[in-house]
Amino acid sequence: MKFDISYIFDALPRLLEGALITLQVAILGFCFSIILATFITIAKTSFNSRIFNGFIAFYISFIRGTPLLVQIFLIYYVLPVFGLNLAPFPAGILAITLNSAAFVIEILRGGLASVPKGQFEAAKSLGISGYALWWKIILPQTFITSIPPLVNEFTMVLKATALLSVITVVELMRVSQQIYSANYHPVEVLSATFIIYFLMCFVVSRSSVFLEQRFKVKRA
Amino acid sequence: MKPKFLEVIDINKKFENINALKNVSLNVSKGEVICIIGPSGCGKSTLLRTVNWLTPPDSGKVILKGEIIGSATGKLTFEQNRSLNEFRARIGMVFQQFNVWPHLNALENVVRAQIVVRKRMRDEAEKKAIKILNEVGLKDKIDEWPDNLSGGQKQRLAIARSLAMDPILMLLDEPTSALDPELIGEVLSVLRNLVNEGMTMLIVTHELGFASKFGDKIVFMDAGEIIESGPPNTILKSPKTERLKLFLEKLSLTSL
Repeated sequence: MKFDISYIFDALPRLLEGALITLQVAILGFCFSIILATFITIAKTSFNSRIFNGFIAFYISFIRGTPLLVQIFLIYYVLPVFGLNLAPFPAGILAITLNSAAFVIEILRGGLASVPKGQFEAAKSLGISGYALWWKIILPQTFITSIPPLVNEFTMVLKATALLSVITVVELMRVSQQIYSANYHPVEVLSATFIIYFLMCFVVSRSSVFLEQRFKVKRA
Repeated sequence: MKPKFLEVIDINKKFENINALKNVSLNVSKGEVICIIGPSGCGKSTLLRTVNWLTPPDSGKVILKGEIIGSATGKLTFEQNRSLNEFRARIGMVFQQFNVWPHLNALENVVRAQIVVRKRMRDEAEKKAIKILNEVGLKDKIDEWPDNLSGGQKQRLAIARSLAMDPILMLLDEPTSALDPELIGEVLSVLRNLVNEGMTMLIVTHELGFASKFGDKIVFMDAGEIIESGPPNTILKSPKTERLKLFLEKLSLTSL
């Protein structure tokens, strides 16, 4: 069987459509995960409740201690038993969000630990508290130091979306499977898929350098 | 009877097993400059931090112009938190480690709390910030990031940040202790201007020269208690207690 590049060109439009879905799932899932993780981080620090923090610790170890594939199946096939029927796309986003949030919480914990206690105290001594204390003073510093691990986490999310093909989210991997099971040319189609994934991740990880530079330039 | 300006009444604070403050009381009149001295770990910083409730004491009261800042212990209610924030906005605090905000430039450091807490418009806040930065000698550093400022400049920025809130009382926690010797002067000169403007100040300091020249009263603390207090001349020239004598001897030995 020889490598016929024309199959790549034929498949490309559909693959790119799939890549667009991949990006959508990854970006939406990651945004929700950051929002969720941010609120959990604030709640953990503000309430300092043993029960809540224990629950979050349990959630994180549960997510980290089980395969993402199992978590995806769990959300897609087990939630309907409890009356929650989700279409593949939202189910996929939910799975990505819940999975990634566990890791983002840990990343933000590290970022928050690098913000000196005096930063809180200075704000409080001026009468800044609650929402403004977090939003204007603490979170910006937390996120700036967390840029590299957050970008890394996003590339992990981007790659993890390929697993959503198993619950029929029509993203890049799923499209790829559909094409080669119809034309019997997996080598060409998978090569193209491979390169598209790589290009997306490459651009994302380069953006880390850009973002770090941007915030460093401001401060140097 | 006219209420006193600031009253600190019977403050007690325990950390683990250490009595950081034991029944400490202190009265401050308007415009008074009080310097708190004492060996490290004697509770002088803790005392300062209880005044604006940054370190809530176990018992005791702090009263500013007849209003109670705090006497509640344990968790504060929403209302108490709000009134506490209003008090804090009127009490400036300067820290040993400056604690300027590294993600904001100099101007924004001074503007932020004015907008968030005082609800000033941006124009007004910026105008005020520029005026105050000018007064502390940071006119040409307005767009600079804190990481690029020297220690003395950071501390002056921190002082400007507090002054922008129009405080009626300033708490300064060892404002020059983290500075290189040649940078101490520029911060002290800003403080000198504040004294001359009649600002009421509580200063924890090791700068006995500054304390004797500009302090109205020196308070000597040891082991969580106020041992002696009085005008600088009496305290520094004729200490009554053995502990203060010992402390002053040690200080003059190190300054040789």
